[in-house]
Formats: sequence, structure tokens, C-alpha cells
Amino acid sequence: MSDAKCGMRLQNVRKDFGKVPIIHGVDLEISEGDFVVFVGPSGCGKSTLLRMIAGLEEVTDGSIEIGGREVTDLDPSLRGIAMVFQSYALYPHMSVRDNLGFGLSMANVPKDEIARHVAEAARILKLDALLDRRPGQLSGGQRQRVAIGRAIVRKPEVFLFDEPLSNLDAELRVSMRIEIARLHKELGNTMIYVTHDQTEAMTLADKIVVLREGRIEQVGSPREVYENPDNTFVAGFIGSPRMNLLNGTIAGKTIDIAGSTILAHAHSLEGHSAVIVGLRPEHLEVVTAEPCTLAATVDFSEYLGGIGYLYCQLADGQTVTVEQREGEDYKAGDRISLSWRPEKLRLFSADGARIRP
Amino acid sequence: MTITTASPLASIARPRRRASMRQWTGILYVAPAMALVIVFFVVPLIFTVWMSLHNWPLIGQPSWIGLGNYTRMFSDARFFSALGFTAYYTVIATIAIFALAFPLALFVERQRTGVGFYRTVFFMPVVVGLATASLLWVWLANVDAGVFSSILRWFGITGRAANILATFDSAFALIIVMVVWKIVGFTMIILLTGLQAIPADLTEAARIDGANAWQRFTKLTLPLMRRTLALAFILSITGSVLAFDQFYIMTSGGPQNRMISVVYYIFNQSFVSFQLGYGSALSIALLGILVTLSVVQLRLLRVGDER
Repeated sequence: MSDAKCGMRLQNVRKDFGKVPIIHGVDLEISEGDFVVFVGPSGCGKSTLLRMIAGLEEVTDGSIEIGGREVTDLDPSLRGIAMVFQSYALYPHMSVRDNLGFGLSMANVPKDEIARHVAEAARILKLDALLDRRPGQLSGGQRQRVAIGRAIVRKPEVFLFDEPLSNLDAELRVSMRIEIARLHKELGNTMIYVTHDQTEAMTLADKIVVLREGRIEQVGSPREVYENPDNTFVAGFIGSPRMNLLNGTIAGKTIDIAGSTILAHAHSLEGHSAVIVGLRPEHLEVVTAEPCTLAATVDFSEYLGGIGYLYCQLADGQTVTVEQREGEDYKAGDRISLSWRPEKLRLFSADGARIRP
Repeated sequence: MTITTASPLASIARPRRRASMRQWTGILYVAPAMALVIVFFVVPLIFTVWMSLHNWPLIGQPSWIGLGNYTRMFSDARFFSALGFTAYYTVIATIAIFALAFPLALFVERQRTGVGFYRTVFFMPVVVGLATASLLWVWLANVDAGVFSSILRWFGITGRAANILATFDSAFALIIVMVVWKIVGFTMIILLTGLQAIPADLTEAARIDGANAWQRFTKLTLPLMRRTLALAFILSITGSVLAFDQFYIMTSGGPQNRMISVVYYIFNQSFVSFQLGYGSALSIALLGILVTLSVVQLRLLRVGDER
């Protein structure tokens, strides 16, 4: 039995398309008022999972509870959800006002009450001046606000967003992102947001759910998934440029990477013959040769103003990206030594699972 | 000095020449289509108008009578009864076609097993010529050799072999069934394209908004199909107003000459009574009626509006 504070609970939720399993038994608990972001590469099942929560996709097995209520087989309109689509899905033949009020008019809410709710949503989203326009007469950002407004008017328990900003240009995306964050603060509803954009995930989420091939790889706060990834997939997926994942072999109590010997620090290497060493570009530092550093050759460098990137190669051909805040310029062919603070090193077993200190 | 004055002139002249070249290329591209329209529509139309202003027998000299043919039309009771019958047929046929084409379009829109087979089967009669279809159905309705008569007898609906084409009501019903069978696949395909143009997201958004299947159909599907509906209506109504083959072949305008459509009447006037001038005037009147009907439909469906 779920407690009253539970915003949503998925239990062993599975989805097959024909004989092809798409979602493999997902278990997830979301607290009321949380902003949860589903991230993952294309085809990982994040949108399908969202559509299953919305009731637009049938659930093959398992159960979905929203606000302590079993909704697995309930009609989408009875689940207490509202959804914002990637394409906005505004009714093109209706005015903004009618778009906003459509859900309420379907529920036979009296006209004056609809008008009140629409006015309230329009105020929150600054749509007052646009109420009599058609979607075709609005800009991308305005359409997105109308789509969000349509969701607000329904007063749902849970908001579902399916890549809502991916059709907007970069600048608008940032301002809409801030607007959605503000909205979450103002309304306090549970929100589930699907994206493949890491910045959106990191900035908006209370909790990030990383998905791969229909399975949850890790659930945690943005800081947790960034700093303490459970496996090489999460480590490589979250963060841009991605974490350097270097193959190493165990040599006693040290690790050998392309001829350089590094320390495992607090990690136990027992039972492993090979490991994967994870080091984020910003944690690497170019140093004058010290013991236990990584020898690399600069392939090319990028200068971006505030920061720069060095793309390097190790002796065995593995590549390493280094972020430079300051320091001297390097050019292709320069031989450098890389160092890091011991606590920044992340270690994974050869099959990708995290080895914790 | 001379160079500075000459060069601006040259730079103006060049784009102008290029623009006129482009215009000529454009005209060249549309010329074949324009030639077809002019030779097979505009010229015959002008000639028909010219003929309609004459008393034009098949043999002998035509004589100018001005608007005589047009004034005669207004006192021609048989023309008005043909108009009345055509209107009746158009209304019934259009309703029957749409009543079946819409459910069929909704049925074949969904991706289900065998959908290609169903689409093909429903569309197949469309490729049969109307005259051929009429002949086929005359045979099907034959008292002795046809299948309908036997079927009606088997089910005990009629006691003896029934001649469906003998009475107005049964013959009219048979023609409607034949036309629906023949045309419904075409209307279905047009409606199908309209249905498929509606993004799935919209239907899903409406489902979340709590609209049931009927509300989604009336509030979303129908308004978003306005253009498609306009096209399907205009094609269907124009086709019905111009109906001729089925009445000529299946009932020869009977029983009691009650199945004379406008085109059939024009045919009779022109090629049976050889009053080519009067036939032309009737044709021009029919053209006027069709244009008016189409304009009214486009206005009613507000096709020009931004979607």
C-alpha cells in the first residue's frame, strides 16, 4: 500500500510491442512535488514510459499508482495527469482561449468557471494578450506556453512533459527552462519531464532517472548521478564533455593504463584483473612529471574563451579529454603528464559496474 | 567619365533582361497545360455560349435568337422536373456515399492486419467504368438471369421473380446502391488522406483532455478535415449533378420517364430532338448551377480560412 505522500509509484512496469520488449520491469517511486527527469539516449524507452504513465500506451504488465490510486488501466483523462507534447499538440482550429478551456468544457464545467480558470492560467503564463489568436499566429515559445497553460488549467496532480523544448531555438530554450522551473516552484505539483538534453535534466530535476534500453540505470539527484555514477553508462552519459573512461589492468595494488602506473587510492582491487578508470575532464590537470601521473600526447586543442579543451592520446591509442581553465597553451604533438585529486577518481569493473571505495 | 555613366545603365539593363527571360521560361512551362485547357475547355465553352444564342438545328443554317433559348428554359416544365430529380438524386446519393465512406475511412485508417487488403477491396469498383458498372448491375438485376431476384426470392422477400427496375422506388434504390458501390472507395480514399493528415498528438491531447471518441470526431476530426471534406463534397456533388450513364443504361430514363436527369435532358434535347442551341443553353445553365454550388460549399466550409 502506498503512503499518501507518494506522488507516483511504478511497480514492475513492462511494455512489449508485439514480441519485442521495450520496457523491462521498471520500479520507481516518486515523491509528491518532485521534479523528475527521465534521460537517456534515443530509443531508451523514456517517452514510452511517460506515455504509459499518461495512459496513451497500454501497460503489458505491472502497475502504476498516482497519488496512491491505482490507474494502470484507467482512461488518460481520469488519471489526474496533464501532458505537454513535443509538438505542442495545440488544436489548430481553436483560439488560445478555447485551447486552454477545452479540457474543462469536455468535463462540462460551467462557462464562467472555465473563463476564470483560463484567465488564471493566462495570467501565470502571460498569455492574456494572445487569448483570441489561433496557434498558427503564435511563435514557437508562445505555443509552448499555451501548451503548458492547457496543462495547468486541468489542475492535474502530475504534469508530464515529453521533450517540450526540443522544437525551440537555443535562446528560447533557456528562457522556457527557467519558466518551467519557476512554474514548478509556484505550483508545487509532481512533474515528470522527458529529455535527452543533459542541461535540462541537470538544471530542472530534483531527481534524475537515467534509462537505457528500457531499464533504469540509476536514480538520483543531479549531483548524485554526476558525481557518483553507478556504472560506466551513467558516467559516460551524464556530463559534457563525457567522462574519460580508460581501460586499465591491475598490477598488484596499482593500475596500469597504457604504460602509466596509477594508484587505486582507497579502492579495493581484489578479484579484478582489469578495471575501467573514470576521470572527468575538469578533474584532470596538466602537471610537470610527477609519480603516478598519466602520460599523454596532445592531439589537438580547443580554446573557448573561459575554458579550453585538450584532446589527447595515450600510448595505446585511448583518448583523454582535459578541461583547462588556465595554464599554458599546448599544441598537437606536445607530451604532457596528467594528474588529479585522489577523491575524483572513479573506478568501475570491466563489465561497467561501479567499484566503490 | 564615360565608363562611370555607362556601367550603371548596363547593370540595370541586365537584371531586367534576366527577369523577362525568367518570365518566358515560366510561360513555356505552363504552355502545354494551358494549350490543353484552351483547346478542350475554353474554346468549347465559348462555342457553346455562341451556340446557345442561336436556333441551331443539326442540319441547316443556325439563326440568331439572342437570349431566346434562355427565356424558353424558364417555361420548360420538363427541364424543371429534370432539375428536381437531379437534386433529389444528388442529395440521396451524397448522403449515402458519405454515410458509408466515413466509417470505411475510419476503419482503414488504423494500422491493423489486412488493412491493405481492405483498402484495395473497397477501392476496386472505382476503377470500373460507370457505364460498365451500370451494365453489370442491369444484368445482376435481371428478372430471369440476375442474382438479386433469386436472392430476394430465397429470403422470401418477394414471392416470385422480382423486376427491380420496373418501379421507380426499387430502380432508384438499385441505382443508389450501385453508385455507392462504385464511388464509395474513391470518397473513402480522399477522406482517408484527410484523416491521416491529423497528427496523432492532437487526438492524444484530446484524450487526455477527456474528449470521448464522438467528441474527438466532432470537435477535432471534422473541423480539421474541412478542406478534405470540401474536396470530397464538391467531387461527389458535381458527379451526382452530372449523372447520366446509370439512368441511360439501367432504366433508359424510366419508369414513366421519371429518371431523366439534367444531363440526360440536355442529351435528349441536343441529340434526340436535335435542338443543339437549346441544349447548349441548358449546358451553360448547368455550368452556372455547378459553379454556384461549389462556391457556396467553399464558403460554408470556410476553406479559405487559415487553419
